Amino acid sequence: MEPERKRHRTRRRLRRSDPGQKTDFKLVLELNAMHPFTNLTHLKRVRACRSKDSPHALEILICLVKDATSPLNNDFSNAALGEPFVVKIPSRPPLTRPQFELASKHWPTSFHEDKLVSTALRGELFNAKQKAKMQEYMMLAVDAAKEGKKLGLKAIGAVIVDPNSDKIIAKSHDCSQNHPLQHAVMVCIDLVAQSQGGGCYSYEKYTSCQFNFVDLNNGASQPYICTGYDLYVTKEPCVLCAMALVHSRIGRVFYGTDSEDGAMGTKFKIHAQKDLNHRFEVFKGVLVGLCKELDKEE
Amino acid sequence: MGTEGVCGEMFYPNHEEIQKWMDKAFEMAKDALENGEVPVGCLLVYNNEVIGKGRNEVNETKNATRHAEMVALDELRDWCELKGLEVKTVCEKTVLYVTVEPCIMCAAALRLFNLPVVVYGCRNDRFGGCGSVLDISSANLPQTGTKFKCVAGHRAEEAVEMLKTFYKQENPNAPNPKTRKQ
Ligand SMILES: [Zn+2]
Ligand SMILES: [Zn+2]
Repeated sequence: MEPERKRHRTRRRLRRSDPGQKTDFKLVLELNAMHPFTNLTHLKRVRACRSKDSPHALEILICLVKDATSPLNNDFSNAALGEPFVVKIPSRPPLTRPQFELASKHWPTSFHEDKLVSTALRGELFNAKQKAKMQEYMMLAVDAAKEGKKLGLKAIGAVIVDPNSDKIIAKSHDCSQNHPLQHAVMVCIDLVAQSQGGGCYSYEKYTSCQFNFVDLNNGASQPYICTGYDLYVTKEPCVLCAMALVHSRIGRVFYGTDSEDGAMGTKFKIHAQKDLNHRFEVFKGVLVGLCKELDKEE
Repeated sequence: MGTEGVCGEMFYPNHEEIQKWMDKAFEMAKDALENGEVPVGCLLVYNNEVIGKGRNEVNETKNATRHAEMVALDELRDWCELKGLEVKTVCEKTVLYVTVEPCIMCAAALRLFNLPVVVYGCRNDRFGGCGSVLDISSANLPQTGTKFKCVAGHRAEEAVEMLKTFYKQENPNAPNPKTRKQ
């Protein structure tokens, strides 16, 4: 999982307020009524003045620089306020403690730790047994990639598993020499369809592209074939494959190395695209060394 | 200035061609709607000939990637094989006419087939890959085929109306028309 580390700072206009005239609380309420701060609820509106020499006790956020009118609206013209100035503030809420500490250097910020991100950053998201399983599945994808490579194909392999039953549903390698859309992931998705009695291509000449039949409880097909399944793929999926995984409602994706046009981190983050109707977690770096080695010429 | 006509000349369908083939695509979409299928019409035209057409085959193949465009591209491959022509050379002079903006996946597929021009009807706010959700058609993706040009908006309202009619019958696999807000 890749947390957002970059804090884009937006500049904001700020005025100093005269001490003692209003309580912070009342001030904040009035400010919010006059200049509502939507999407920026992680920011405190008021802070104590940092400079000891200042005649003011408090500093307040008024609005974004881009929203400020010039000359300033009348409601800023309170004689008790000092000259407005611009300050950088964190544009998004911090997810981890280091992010929180960095953000607070610029402006007081509230913090609700994202436990999942923090755990992932400490490398504690998965236990030893889970990690061993992940490596085992990625190893199968690496092997499939090698089989493809032996046939003169691109060395990319993929495996789709059901993490609940530990069953391997499908295994594939890149076949795009034969068909420009038969990337390893696309082949794997079609093989999952075949495991449920569907599918549309034959991979007879590629003996490493295989599937295992699954028992669908009531015989009815599920509307989204990859629901609850995990994909292991040696290289970061491209746009075609990433969106195919959204349409197929994949559960999670694990990949080895980045790819130049990758759509799960490099060029796009299709798995986290806000307008799409399905999102999922993506983890990179599983057996990264072996996956990298696949690219080497022999 | 004088060389612009030579270097800048692009393969592009003219107004009459757009009219003619989009009419055909809409006929297909209507036909699909009358048969209870996703009302998307999709044609691949080369040298004034339809060399691929498709309809959504997600349900029968259980493969969620079998959108009309993907099916049509497979027909194109078969046609090329039959005629002994190279897919890439044919694609460089082929236009896709489709009643709804291709999704992100199909837009990537069209790039990988090196199609130069896509003519479409209405936007696809849910999955659109030609600007509505992401713009894959013109993105900088050197490993993902070639960029393509879009001609959008032909009979857009009609295309949206057909999709809306279809949604009343509830199909979770269908694209979302512009007017449907989530
Ligand atoms: Zn791909
Ligand atoms: Zn599509």
